[in-house]
Amino acid sequence: MVGSPVLLIAIPLLAAFLIPLFGMVWKESVRIVPGLVLAYLTYLSASLYIEVINTDTIVEIIAGWRPPWGINLVFSPLTGFLTTIMTFMGFIVWLYSYRFKRNVEFEAAKKYFIFLMLLVAGSVGIVITGDIFNQFVFIEIVGISAYALTAFYTGRDSAEAAFKYLIMGSLSASALLIAIIIIYSQLGTLNMAEIAANIDNMNPYYRIIAMIFFIIGIGVEAEIFPLNGWAPDAYTEAPGPVGGAFSGIVAKAGIYAMVRMMFTLFDIAGPMKILIVIGLITLIVAETSALRQEKLKRMLAYSSIGQMGLVLVAFGMGTKAGVFAALFLMLNHAITKPMLFLSGSFLTFNTTEKYIKQITGMAKKMPVVSIIFVLGALAITGFPPFSGFWSKMAFLSAAADENLLFIMATILIISIFEVVYYFRVINRLFFFEYDDKISVEPHKPGFNGMIALFVLAFIVLMIGFYPSSVTGFIDLAADDLLNTHQYIDKVLQLGQTIIQ
Amino acid sequence: MDTTELIRIGVYGTSILLILIGLYAVLTKRSLIKIIIGLSIIDGGIHLLLIGIGYIKDGTAPIFSPGSENAVARMVDPVPQALVLTAIVIGFGVTAVALSLVIRLYRHHNTLKIDEIKNLKW
Repeated sequence: MVGSPVLLIAIPLLAAFLIPLFGMVWKESVRIVPGLVLAYLTYLSASLYIEVINTDTIVEIIAGWRPPWGINLVFSPLTGFLTTIMTFMGFIVWLYSYRFKRNVEFEAAKKYFIFLMLLVAGSVGIVITGDIFNQFVFIEIVGISAYALTAFYTGRDSAEAAFKYLIMGSLSASALLIAIIIIYSQLGTLNMAEIAANIDNMNPYYRIIAMIFFIIGIGVEAEIFPLNGWAPDAYTEAPGPVGGAFSGIVAKAGIYAMVRMMFTLFDIAGPMKILIVIGLITLIVAETSALRQEKLKRMLAYSSIGQMGLVLVAFGMGTKAGVFAALFLMLNHAITKPMLFLSGSFLTFNTTEKYIKQITGMAKKMPVVSIIFVLGALAITGFPPFSGFWSKMAFLSAAADENLLFIMATILIISIFEVVYYFRVINRLFFFEYDDKISVEPHKPGFNGMIALFVLAFIVLMIGFYPSSVTGFIDLAADDLLNTHQYIDKVLQLGQTIIQ
Repeated sequence: MDTTELIRIGVYGTSILLILIGLYAVLTKRSLIKIIIGLSIIDGGIHLLLIGIGYIKDGTAPIFSPGSENAVARMVDPVPQALVLTAIVIGFGVTAVALSLVIRLYRHHNTLKIDEIKNLKW
């Protein structure tokens, strides 16, 4: 064993608080230490994940209090899968932002990396914890660091976006706390496995009220429809890599929390319909809004919300094929959307507005970045040789199995919308003449940023040509999510256990 | 109806009232500071609710010591108290971040009125 899951939370938290001290000794270390930490986390998570697949789910008990009394961490094929994606994307975001804007000063860079560490620690915590109050604490850690990262640039309207995010985030956190109070007062436990085992003893009215408060509480991070008003502003005003981190890390953690709650905690058939309805509304509203956006990042943000809606619809089917498609979509979105954000912020480098018209004709000036942007756009709209095709295919076949013709029709129409707004950008990028009055001044993209983009592009192509390289992992993760009894048994003392 | 029930209903009623007052402030007030005060009032109401579910009549502190073995039945539930401490700290953190954002907004726009700060769509 290379380490234990608790290190995935403890190390980035510790690093976040040590970075200022390192910075006093050697200024360059505030940029290097986060990279080392994230690389180690990716390695640790990947090796634990392989171990979990080959042997058994790891249940780690913190401070010697066995579940259901203490806090436990669950590292299963599902949580390991998501943790590995999230830590890896954290590393890619670090790689991109290592030299980001060489004009960013020491103090600003220090704060940026501290909050990036906290963001990763909190998101990983949301996924691997087995205790609902602990999950609430991690959601708040993610929230506070996300507000701070949104407000990173002082010159723009970023504080306004961050304040909006904060109001929504803290109202929803209050709702989450009320849900936790209701569950605790009814069942007398905070452990997810114990709640899942005893949920049938709960008064049905309290159960539905608790579930509604839970959906409101988690919906802000998961970007579902009425609660995602913060997202377009926050994605637009935050630095480019932070947009990538939000879509690649935070939104994934939010979706996980919502799905774990729906599938494991409130294991009843009815709510799945709610997921489909919420998902479809989110999808339709977001994609139609994306059509009429003038700003590149705002368009990408709406596209990101739409993808989250699609994932929820896929989870809402509740079948093995549906969950498989949902996890596949999550994987693709986690890789492709940061790729679009990162290459998009290279294309609109150093502008505050980031209008789509500002990238007119940039393909001739920055061909490689433009091609990577196009690759991302094709992958996310689901063109055949790229990764997005396979996940959309899985989605459609899952819907076909269930005879959900309405959903299939909606998804196909929405896909046309996606193609339209992405091709509007590609058209400007490639088939318009460069015009120095409106376009951005081209610049040489940083070496580290290019490596990050190439790695992502390589993964997109690899999944596109060899989908079997990841489908096995996704299959195991889907089984893990659907098997509630196994989760309960493993947590309540039958799994491979570590006691700290 | 005995006093325990009355106290319980009183605590729950007060906390729900506080939550509603706070929600009203967040949704209708046009000043950034008043919105933050509203958020704090909601937090206060939730903390009261959380403490309320651990209430026992004539309860004692949940500490085992020689001579208090037969007090187990009267010990209050320690979990809500631990939760409320954590929730208070988190609420403090969020309020601090919110106030620092308000300072930034004030420097940028020279006003605290939400109607005049709308470069982004609200």
